[in-house]
Amino acid sequence: MTAPAPTNRQIRKQTPGRTWTTTGTRRVTATDALRVVILSTFVLLALIPVVWTLLGSFKTPAELAARPITILPENWGLDNYTDALGRFNFTVYLRNSVLVTVGATVLTLTINAMAAYGLAKYNFRGRNGLFLLTLATIMIPLQVILIPVYQVVASMGLVNTLWGLIIPAAATPTGVFILRQYMLGIPDELIEAARVDGSGEFRTFLRIVLPLCRPALAVVAILSVMWRWNDFLWPLVVAQSEGVYTLPVALARFNAEETVPFNLILAMSVVTIVPVILLFLVFQRQITTGIANTGIK
Amino acid sequence: MTALATDKAQSPRRRKPWGLRLAPYLFLLPNMAIFGAFTIWPAINGFNISLYSSSDGRRFRWEGLGNYERILTDNEFWGIALNTLLFAVGYLILSVSLGVLLAVLVNQQRRGRAFFRAAFFVPVLISPVVAGLVWNWMLERRGGLVNSFLALFGVEEVAWLIDQRLALLCVIGVGVWLQLGFYMLILLAGLQGIDPNVYEAAQIDGASRWRQFWSMTLPLLQPSVLVVVILSTIHGFQAFDFIFTLTGGGPVGATTLIVQYIYENGFVSPIRYGMATAGSVLLFLVVFTLTVINWILGRRREAA
Repeated sequence: MTAPAPTNRQIRKQTPGRTWTTTGTRRVTATDALRVVILSTFVLLALIPVVWTLLGSFKTPAELAARPITILPENWGLDNYTDALGRFNFTVYLRNSVLVTVGATVLTLTINAMAAYGLAKYNFRGRNGLFLLTLATIMIPLQVILIPVYQVVASMGLVNTLWGLIIPAAATPTGVFILRQYMLGIPDELIEAARVDGSGEFRTFLRIVLPLCRPALAVVAILSVMWRWNDFLWPLVVAQSEGVYTLPVALARFNAEETVPFNLILAMSVVTIVPVILLFLVFQRQITTGIANTGIK
Repeated sequence: MTALATDKAQSPRRRKPWGLRLAPYLFLLPNMAIFGAFTIWPAINGFNISLYSSSDGRRFRWEGLGNYERILTDNEFWGIALNTLLFAVGYLILSVSLGVLLAVLVNQQRRGRAFFRAAFFVPVLISPVVAGLVWNWMLERRGGLVNSFLALFGVEEVAWLIDQRLALLCVIGVGVWLQLGFYMLILLAGLQGIDPNVYEAAQIDGASRWRQFWSMTLPLLQPSVLVVVILSTIHGFQAFDFIFTLTGGGPVGATTLIVQYIYENGFVSPIRYGMATAGSVLLFLVVFTLTVINWILGRRREAA
């Protein structure tokens, strides 16, 4: 392995803030100011809708209807949240979302990691073909095969079940790709040594390879949670009765029917977006590097 | 017998035990089974179904290319195709240009770079369904947040989601809002991979910043831009979820795009399976062709 070329960031660290030609303190130039103004404007555009949703989720229907609009809610009580929990089957949707997200992520990690190991560490006939086939399907998104996939799921009797939401998208090509690339870096000697010690193939995978892949597994897990939690089209098609609605499906349905007061919709919306934002804040580094490296979401 | 025995003795490499030979296939089996059943088989079967018609998904009638004939002579379909094209083009242009702008600015920013990067990424995390309904609320004509803000500057109430042209623009805007942070991240990673010595040389040569951007940053950023172009093309043609709650495809179908057409023909009565699958196949062909063209163009420019 040759050393990678130094990146911007590494060089900046060596020569903080200036080149050999600069002298004295850097002055704030007009370009600097303009840049900060543009960036700040875009930050406001990005964040205001989120903040506005949060503020709105504490307002009463009267406050939401008030014209001219008010910015801060009159009180910060959790009435909307407890109301939303009490009415409808909000807890059922929340539970469904959690079950689908967790179940699908566990399933994805398991089968993707196994497949990645097979592709990365064995020589067998058809290996390259299978890998290319996996990659090629990145080009076949669900939107394009919606109806034929639905037919498969229907013929298995999985419509209106949580399994019908969990299984079909579990074999993500992205996950296989990320994990395979990572596993290529694990030395073969390690696996060979385990074999000589009499460890079975699956045991070697479980005890030696998986623990080494923790960073890559984390990236795939986080991506999977983000995809599944916010997924909409597939749940909309498969979850036809209220008992299997996930949060986004329930929100979209109630919003379209206009029977549910908007303050409760907003409270539900906040519950829908907060877990992912928290996840992002905790795992920011893994998420950003994972996306930057694969360019796939 | 003897020949076999000597053969074995002479060969220095023993055959792998059967367990070792079988292992990779067993490791791949679960993933490939799900993959085959829920992606590869449906992809093939999709072409097949598009040659039949059905109104309940159980009984099918052979149509040959009849569905394609019907869909291609359908005015409603062409209206939706035009909407989709306008959306995809607007979405692509804004995503790439704003993505590059923000990535370059964030990259030059020394202080608070991590903050800006994270803040721009927040909309990417938002459920598109929520984004749609929140923007619908903010773009309300009477007393929506946007119009209330504009009123401070004396702007009259704008009929954002009621005017047909404005509605499509709003849909493009919200689509870009949702994904821009993601594209910016890819471009930012590309920028940080550029060797800064190139810039030092240019500064010594006295090249202006603008000049540096056009003749150095952009060409060196080409691979990342290509990724963003390909992804935003694919995303653009697949837009659906946030539009469902933002406009529902209205007013008067002005923001109905192809995926909504597929969904409604396939799952909302009156069901027309044939039209839905024919539409899917056409969508696939368009996206596939565009991806290949993008890729070839990108490769050629890289080589030049």
